Amino acid sequence: MEPVATSGGDGFQVNGAVLLRAGSLIGFGLVIGYFALAAPGFLSVGNITNVLEQSAILGVLSFGMTIVMIAGGSNVVTGGIDLSIANNLGLSAAVYAILLKIGQPDVVALGFTLLTGLGIGLLNAIAVVAIGILPLIATLTVMNICAGFELVITQNTVLQASSPLLAVLAGDGPFGIATLAYLLLIVALVLIVVIQYTPFGLRLYAVGGFREAALAAGVSVDWYIATSYILSGICGSIGAVLSVALLSGSSTGSGDMLLSVVATALLGVVFSRRLVPTISGSLLSVLFIGFLINGFQLTNISSYWVNGVEGLLILFAVATTSLVRRIET
Amino acid sequence: MATDISSATASETVAQWFRRSSALRCTVVLAFLLVFTFLSVKAPGFLSISNFVNILVNNFTILAIVSLGMTLVLLTGGIDLSVGTAMDVGSLLFISLISAHQNFLVAIGGGLLGALATGGFNAVLIGGLRIAPFLATLGTLFIGESVQQLATNGGQPIYLITGTLTPAFGYIGHGTIFGIPFSLCLAVALIVIYYLLTERTSFGRKAVALGANPNVAWYSGARVRCTSGLVYVLSAVTCGAAGIILSATIKAYVPLSGNAYLLDAIGATFIGTTLHSEGRPSVIGTMLGVLLLSIVTNGLLLIGWNFYWQQVGTGVLIFFVLAMSFLGQRLRA
Amino acid sequence: MINHFSATQAKGDPVLTMHGIVKTFGGVRALDGANLEVDTGSIHGLVGQNGAGKSTLIKILAGFHRPDAGSISIRGMHCQHLTPRRVEHLGVHFIHQDRLLVPTFTVAEAMFLGAEPGIGPIPLLNRREMARQATAILRYHFDVRLPGGALISELTPAERQIVQISRALLRDPAILVFDEPTAALVRQEVDRLFEIIRRLRAKGLTTVYISHYLSEIESLCDQVTVLRNGVDVGRINPKSSSTSEIVSLMLNRDIEEMFPKKAVSVGEPVLKLNKLSARGAFIEISLTLHRGEILGLTGLLGSGAKELVKSLFGLVRLQGGTIEIGSDRTEIPSPPSAVAKKLALVPEDRRAHGVALQMSVRENMTLASLGRFARFGFLQLSREKATTNELIRKLSIRTASQTSPVRDLSGGNQQKVVLAKWLSRQSAIYLLDEPTVGVDVGAKVEIYRLIGELAEQGAGILLLSSDLLELLGIADRILVMYRGQLAGEFDPGNSTSADLLSCATGTSTLRTGTETMAPAQRTMLGKDRLG
Repeated sequence: MEPVATSGGDGFQVNGAVLLRAGSLIGFGLVIGYFALAAPGFLSVGNITNVLEQSAILGVLSFGMTIVMIAGGSNVVTGGIDLSIANNLGLSAAVYAILLKIGQPDVVALGFTLLTGLGIGLLNAIAVVAIGILPLIATLTVMNICAGFELVITQNTVLQASSPLLAVLAGDGPFGIATLAYLLLIVALVLIVVIQYTPFGLRLYAVGGFREAALAAGVSVDWYIATSYILSGICGSIGAVLSVALLSGSSTGSGDMLLSVVATALLGVVFSRRLVPTISGSLLSVLFIGFLINGFQLTNISSYWVNGVEGLLILFAVATTSLVRRIET
Repeated sequence: MATDISSATASETVAQWFRRSSALRCTVVLAFLLVFTFLSVKAPGFLSISNFVNILVNNFTILAIVSLGMTLVLLTGGIDLSVGTAMDVGSLLFISLISAHQNFLVAIGGGLLGALATGGFNAVLIGGLRIAPFLATLGTLFIGESVQQLATNGGQPIYLITGTLTPAFGYIGHGTIFGIPFSLCLAVALIVIYYLLTERTSFGRKAVALGANPNVAWYSGARVRCTSGLVYVLSAVTCGAAGIILSATIKAYVPLSGNAYLLDAIGATFIGTTLHSEGRPSVIGTMLGVLLLSIVTNGLLLIGWNFYWQQVGTGVLIFFVLAMSFLGQRLRA
Repeated sequence: MINHFSATQAKGDPVLTMHGIVKTFGGVRALDGANLEVDTGSIHGLVGQNGAGKSTLIKILAGFHRPDAGSISIRGMHCQHLTPRRVEHLGVHFIHQDRLLVPTFTVAEAMFLGAEPGIGPIPLLNRREMARQATAILRYHFDVRLPGGALISELTPAERQIVQISRALLRDPAILVFDEPTAALVRQEVDRLFEIIRRLRAKGLTTVYISHYLSEIESLCDQVTVLRNGVDVGRINPKSSSTSEIVSLMLNRDIEEMFPKKAVSVGEPVLKLNKLSARGAFIEISLTLHRGEILGLTGLLGSGAKELVKSLFGLVRLQGGTIEIGSDRTEIPSPPSAVAKKLALVPEDRRAHGVALQMSVRENMTLASLGRFARFGFLQLSREKATTNELIRKLSIRTASQTSPVRDLSGGNQQKVVLAKWLSRQSAIYLLDEPTVGVDVGAKVEIYRLIGELAEQGAGILLLSSDLLELLGIADRILVMYRGQLAGEFDPGNSTSADLLSCATGTSTLRTGTETMAPAQRTMLGKDRLG
C-alpha cells in the first residue's frame, strides 16, 4: 500500500481555533501597545514587575480554578468549577494572620494555613465526588461556609500580621524585582510542567475531555476530579500567604476576587489551540487584566470600568469559543 | 473492588426505598419542625406574634421575592447569577428618579424598566446566542458591577432626604393594608402569581419540560429558546421589584447590596427541591426554604449567636439539605 | 491479579471461550445461555439482528456488565470478575463504535493515554518518544502519515479508527474486537480496513468482527457465530456455506405475534419527497406517502434511512430536493416547525428524546398539545385529566396513576405515552423510528394495533424499522436503503425477510441462492411471510 496523505498534510492547519488564538494575542498586543504609547513608563521594568507583583495572587487562584476546570470539562454548569476559592483565600489568610498575631512561628502558622486550604479542597471533593452534589452548588455552599468562618475569626476587621517570611515575600529579590513577581512565574512554571508535561496532566485532560474514553483507558475519573479540588484548595492557601505578605495582614472582601478568577480562567481558553483551559492561558489572561488595570491607572481611566470590561471579555471568550466549536463539528 | 450480584440487589432495594420514601421528600418539613421546636425551647422571645411578624417582614419578604425569580429560572434548568444586579439596577433607578424629584410612579416604572433591560440582556445572551446561563449571567453580573460603580462614583450610597418625600413613598416601605405591611402583601401576591404561572399555565408547563428534558420539549414543538429567554426577563423584573421595596424601606440605594441575596435564594430553592419526588424546584418548596432560612437567622440571633456564626450555621444547614437531596437523586437513578 | 485466574493451558485451545452466558436486565432476558468460541489466529464474525444480544455479549466480554451465569475463558485462563482494565491486561482490545478517543488530544496523546512513556525514572511525558512510536506504528501497520499536531477532532472517521487500532496494537493485543467498524466508512476505507485485518491475522492476531453487513462477513471471516434471541444458533464457515444460511439462522422463526392489520384504502399523497439529499447521509431520495398508508423503511447503520427520517423532522440539514406536504412545497427547518405542520416523531431513543422521565404521564401526554387545554394561557386541569384518562384507557397504558413519573413505566408503556402525545395533537404524518425496540411482546402487539388504527383514521405513517418481520407484517409497502440511496421497493405480500436483508446488506447473490435451495429451506423462508 502506498503511504496515504491525510487531512491537513504536514503543514500548519488554519481553522477557527487558530484564528481565535491569533486574534486574541493580537488584541493583547494592541492593548499593550496602546497603553505603552498613552502612558509613559508603562513598559518600564519597574512597572512591569509591579504588575507581576499585583497579579501574583490572582494568578495563583486562577491556576487553581483552571485545574478544576480542566478536570471538569468544557461545560461550566455540569462540569468543574470551584466558587469557593476566593473565600478559601480569605479564610486561610485569616488563619495565617491570627496564628502569627498570637505569636506562633512561621512554620506552624504556614502549616495550619496550608492545612486549611487542603481541608476546604477536601470538603469540596467529598461534596462533588462522594455525595454527588453539582459542583456549582457544592462549591457555592462551601464558599458561604468559608466566608462565615472567616468572619468569625476576623470579626470583620483587618488583622495585621508580620513575620520574617512575610518580610521576605513582600520584599524584592534579585535584580530588584519583587519576590512575588518571581513566585508567580515559578508557580506558573511548575504547574505548566505538571499539567502539560506529565501523565498526571494528560489524564486530567482526558477526564475532562471525554469521561468515557478516560474510563476505558483505565483512568480513575473520581480520583482525578477529587484531586483537582484538593489542588485548588491548596492554591487558595498559597494565595492567602501571598496576600498576607502583600497587604501585611488579612483583609476583608477577598470574596470580591472570585469574579476575576473565573473570568481569567475562562478567558484563558481562547489562548489555547485546542480551546481547553490551560495554565499558560490563564497566566496570559491574568497578566492581561493586570496590565489593563495598570494601564487604566496610568491613563487616569476610572477603575470602575474594569469589572465591566472583564464581564465583556468573559462573554466574548464564551461566545467565540462556542461559535468556533459549533463550526468545527 | 467490583460489586457482586448480591450487593447489587441490596443497593437496588435501598434505592427503591428512597424513591418511595416520603421521608426524604419531607426533609424540608422535618428540618423545619426540628428547627422550630429547638428554637421555641432555646430562643427567648421566639414564640411571639411580634417576632413572627418581624421574621416575615424583615427576613422573609425580600428573599422570598428574589427566590421566586430564581425558582422559575432553576425550573428551566438554568441559573441566574445576576439577581442581585437586577435588584440593584431597579433600586438605583428608583432612588435616582425620586432624588430628581420625579413622580413616584415614574420612579417605580423607571426602576422596573431598568430591571427589565437587565433581564432582556440575559435573555438575548441565553435564548438568542445560546450562551450557557451560568456564564451569561456571570457576565451580566460583572457589567452590572461596573455600571453601578461608575454611576455612583465608586460605590457611594444614595440617600434620600426624608423631608422631601411624598407620603405615598412612605407607604411602600412602611404602609399597611388591613394591618399587614405592604411589602408582605406584595410578596404574597407575587407568590400567588408565580404559583399559578408555574403550576397552571402552558408557559409554566413548557418551563418544566425545558428543565426536565430540553430535547423532548423541542421535539414536542415548544419554542425552547423563547421560553428559556423569557424566564430571565421575568426573574429580573421580579428582583427589580424587590430592590425597589428594599430601597424604599431604607430610603437609600446601597450599591452592590443585592448580591447578598444570591446564595440564599439558590439555597432556598434547592432546599425546596427536596419536596418533589423528582427533585423539581417549586414555588411552595422554595417558600418553605426561605421560611426555614429566615427562622434560622432570626432564631440564632435571639439565642445570642454571634452574627458571623449565623452565616456558618446557615451555610452548614444548606449543605446538609443539599447533600440529602443529591444523595437521594443519585440513589434513585 | 494472578490469584483470580486458574491457568489451564493446552495447545490448540481456542483463544476465547464464552460459555452459557446468561444476562437479564430488569425482567428482559438479553442473553439466555449464549456461547462463543473463537479459534486462535482466526477472523471470527459475530452476527445477529437488533436485540439478539450481540452488544450485551460484547459488553460482558469488555467487563462493563457481570453475567448472571456462565463462564469466560481467555487464552486458556478462566476469568472471573472482569473489569475493563483486567480485560485489556489479558490482551483483549476493543475498537468501539463510539471511538473512545478524547477529541482535544493529539494522535500520539490519544494513543498513549493510560500507558504513557516516561523519560527514564522521571515521571514526565516523553513526547518525543510518543511521537516517534506513533509515527512508526502508523507507517508500519497502516502505511499512513498523520500530521504530528493533528487533533482527534480534526480527523476523518477512518483515521480515528486507525488511531483506535494503533492504540490497541501498542499494547500487544492477542484479540481485537471490532464493533460495527464500517458504518461510517466509504468503500476504499472499508477495503483498507480489511487489508489491515488480514495483515494482522498473518502476524498471529485474532479478530472478532461484529457487523450487520453480511457481504463483509462473507469475504472476511473464517468462522461466523449467529446469535438469535439471546442464544447462539449456529457456528458456520462462511466460505463453505451460503449467506442465505446465515440469514435464515438470524431471522426469528418462532413468532407468535399477530400483526393485526385491516385493509385500509389508501388516499391521496400526504407527503412527497423529490430528490432529497443530505450531505454525507443520503442522495436524491424520492418517495410518496399517502393518507392511510403505512410505508415501511429499512436500512443498515450508515444507509441514510435514519437521517432521512430525521430530516423530515428538521433534525438534519438538507442540501437538495424538495418536500411537499399535502400539495404545498415546504421546508422543515426545525422540530417545532415540523410539529406545526402536523408531523409527529416517535424517536428511537425513547428515554432521551421521547419522554421526559421526570415528568408525569399526564404532563408528557399533553406536552405537544397544550393549546388544546389552555384558555388565555391557563391550563384547564379537569379537561387535561379527562383527556389523559381517555388516552390511557384507549392505549391500555399500564400506570399507577396519571401523576406517576414516566420513569416508572415499562418500555412498552413509555412508548405508548409517546404515541399518546401525538394522538392528543391529532397529527397527520407519523414518523416512527424503531417503535418497538426494547418493548415486550404483548405491548408490541398493542402498538401494532395502534399503528393500524392511526392509518385507519387517515394518518400517513413512515415506519423505520430494522425488524424485518415487523415491516412485512404491518407495512403496505417497504423501501430499502443502502449506503445513502434507495435500493429497492418491496411488496410485503410477495417478499421475504431474506429479500429485504439481502437488499439492505448489498448482497445480490441471495436471489440466485434462493433458486438452488432445498425445498425444506424454501418453505422455511416462505414461512417468514405472514398472511
